[in-house]
Amino acid sequence: MKIENDTLFLAGIYMKTTMKAWFQYRIDAVLRSIAVFLRESTGIIVIYFTLLQFDTLSGWNMSEMFFLFSLLFLTYGIMILFFTGLRDFGGMVRSGNFDRFLLRPRGLLFQLIFVDADWFAAIGQGGLGIVLFILSAGKVGIEWNIETIIYYVLAVAGGVLIQGAIFLILATLNIYLLQTDSLKELTYHNFRKFAGYPINIFHKAIQLIMIYVVPFAFVNYFPAQYLLRKPGAEEYSEIFFYLTPVVGSIWYLAAYLFWRISIRWYKSSGN
Amino acid sequence: MPEFIEVKEVSKVFKISKRSNGVPGMIANLIMPKYEKREAVRGVSFSIQQGEMIGFIGPNGAGKSTMIKMLSGILFPDGGEIKVGKWIPYKQRKDYVGKIGVVFGQKSQLQWDLPVMDSFELLRAIYRIPKDLYRRNLERYIEMLLMEQFVHQPVRQLSLGQRMRADIVAALLHSPEIIFFDEPTIGVDVAGKEIIRNFIKDLNQQDNVTMLFTTHDMQDIENTCKRLIILDEGEKVYDGSLMGIREKYGTTRQLDVEFNQEEVVKPIANVEILEPDETDSRKRRFVFESRNVQINDLMNELLSQYDIRDINISEPEIESIIRKIYNGEVVSE
Amino acid sequence: MNIEPYIAYAKKTFLQKTAYRFDHLMNILSTCLKIFIFLEIYRALYLGREEIGGITMAMVTTNFVLSMGLDAAFYIDDFFLPGKIWDGSIATELLRPVSFKGRMIAENLGNAFFKLLFCFVPTLLICVFTIGMVPPHSVEMFGAFLLSIILGYGVLWSISFAVQMLAFWLVNIWSINTIKNVFINVLSGSMIPLWFMPEWMQGVLQFTPFSSIYFIPVQIYLGQLSFREIFLRCLMQLIWIGIIYELGNVLWKRGQRKLVVQGG
Repeated sequence: MKIENDTLFLAGIYMKTTMKAWFQYRIDAVLRSIAVFLRESTGIIVIYFTLLQFDTLSGWNMSEMFFLFSLLFLTYGIMILFFTGLRDFGGMVRSGNFDRFLLRPRGLLFQLIFVDADWFAAIGQGGLGIVLFILSAGKVGIEWNIETIIYYVLAVAGGVLIQGAIFLILATLNIYLLQTDSLKELTYHNFRKFAGYPINIFHKAIQLIMIYVVPFAFVNYFPAQYLLRKPGAEEYSEIFFYLTPVVGSIWYLAAYLFWRISIRWYKSSGN
Repeated sequence: MPEFIEVKEVSKVFKISKRSNGVPGMIANLIMPKYEKREAVRGVSFSIQQGEMIGFIGPNGAGKSTMIKMLSGILFPDGGEIKVGKWIPYKQRKDYVGKIGVVFGQKSQLQWDLPVMDSFELLRAIYRIPKDLYRRNLERYIEMLLMEQFVHQPVRQLSLGQRMRADIVAALLHSPEIIFFDEPTIGVDVAGKEIIRNFIKDLNQQDNVTMLFTTHDMQDIENTCKRLIILDEGEKVYDGSLMGIREKYGTTRQLDVEFNQEEVVKPIANVEILEPDETDSRKRRFVFESRNVQINDLMNELLSQYDIRDINISEPEIESIIRKIYNGEVVSE
Repeated sequence: MNIEPYIAYAKKTFLQKTAYRFDHLMNILSTCLKIFIFLEIYRALYLGREEIGGITMAMVTTNFVLSMGLDAAFYIDDFFLPGKIWDGSIATELLRPVSFKGRMIAENLGNAFFKLLFCFVPTLLICVFTIGMVPPHSVEMFGAFLLSIILGYGVLWSISFAVQMLAFWLVNIWSINTIKNVFINVLSGSMIPLWFMPEWMQGVLQFTPFSSIYFIPVQIYLGQLSFREIFLRCLMQLIWIGIIYELGNVLWKRGQRKLVVQGG
């Protein structure tokens, strides 16, 4: 198809331009990857030292905890590879630079995905996920066969969709609200920090939030439970272990619809 | 000639969220925002033919940029109709925006860290510009805007005037049929302004492109536009030629007189007498409406009564007429 | 030196902050939520045990409330100087008849004072009434605690000051600053009470500037240190402030020279 080729061609040009801009400041780009890697590692370092002292957390040992966290970082890393452009969406709306995208004959989300993509940050995030996976995958007693590999791939895909949906919704909120930072901090960043922990250790209210409000539980806890069968998930039906791809698709679809509606709203309300 | 742009009774109402004070107010705002209505554009109609060059002016908040946004398809109108060529701007976004070019004087679309040419290459892909058209346009614009020296420099090293020229080219590479300029000379030095104005004028004449532009700089308008649309508080208050504005509103005349000695001037009906120079009491300024006072009568009266050294009649500047229109000091007859 | 303009700067920042009350409410809730979740994790780790190595759950609670509460209050704008260098306004700032460093300190203090009053104190009150932290060991210890958090802030500020100075040479100090924050988060005791670090690391950490930011005040609050130890620790905090500030100062002078030579 002609349009398809053309879109890929444009994506290529966008990437070339982005790379070129980044290579103007090579050292800075590499430092950025390292900084993101270390920043995201903070939680891991904390767990490492804590479990050196305590051995297990609610029955999860160090490798199992790393495996749990690896799913979170891997999915976030893959998602952010596409969505870095949305990170400063709030700033774009407030400064009016978003209008420029409306004035170009291309899909809005497509433009936002490819403009100014910050892959170096994504490398830092995804890299940590890969490191944790390598450190733990062989030690947690998972028998890697066709079945578990397919399950794992689907779970990662679902997790990416969930992370993307949350990210897209938070970005879209900027169309309605002038200041979203403190709200985001309260509802998203706080939960993201603790999403790597087995949710059964938390208060029931927090568990419910992590399942139904910001569904991080489906990104890592339930898939890891399917593969590892640790105690603590008895109150949740087996079905939850299989829902990640479904939850991901539904959430992403909902997020995308919210985005479309919000763009219409933006065009009727101005800013 | 068929009308190219048709705007009929267009209006736009903005809801502005009312901010409440205090923490409870903020929370209430989040849950149930309160809005205040503000009519940014009220029943504006006009039509424009292909190849016309229109100056869009008005004080801040008059609705200019709202109008430009609606014409470029970024914003839906709340009432009325807009048609541009065969398109309805806000309905067929992707088709329509490929046919227009927009220059925002205050917002660059160039890649800050890269040479200007890289941004152009990116736009070529975005707008699917055929190679030969791209090359032809690029060569031509670079020559017209005297850009050879800096197209290979990173944008961050350019002066404001150079950046603006590059931004204009960026908006025109795909040969748009309509171009919107939003303050294209803001902050640019005199020489740069001259280059930009000449370019706009030449392009309009050579290509028969339709152009609309907003500006605060009356020099821009006087040098480029034949037709002027003035908006004030969301309404169209004038639509016509630059000269017409003087005929319609510029009916105030001013007569500066210098006497040979100090004089006590007697009041004259319908004429305001001012002392323009406080240190020199031999000078007087007579201000009047041309419909109330015949200039010959006034001159004869003065010459017969006083000993006059010099006399000078002046019409008001376009700029000052427009300022008066904004301030509501002159009303159309 | 005329102190008046600096008081004015501090006051201005303090008053500016009052405009963002909603943000502050969110901030308090956010800090409380973080403390709450960390305590859940530790409850799971303790598994109902009374104490682990002499550290009770109440002590862990106190550590998190104090260090996280202070962490939220001691927010310093790490991009104050870099921002001014980036947009070029540093040149005009330096021409003003007030010391730029003095102004930085004043604005940060105004900010910290506001946050202590309106973020830390409410957080503390909420936590005292809901999750039962340990009261101060004694009145004297509470006094020493207050002194030591002021010094802790001094250490945190001088680290930020020194790192900001790197902006004279680097295009972007975001990465360096982020790495700095990782060190502070992990090693200051705000995310993991330092009692739970391996023995050898505790030995090393007690002499670093990082642990002196929050962990020393917490230890004093809990009465874990004798007066002699308190004196030595506070002296160490002072020495760290001196060293790091001086380092930043050297960079500041060289940076200004670079600015003059290259004209920004």
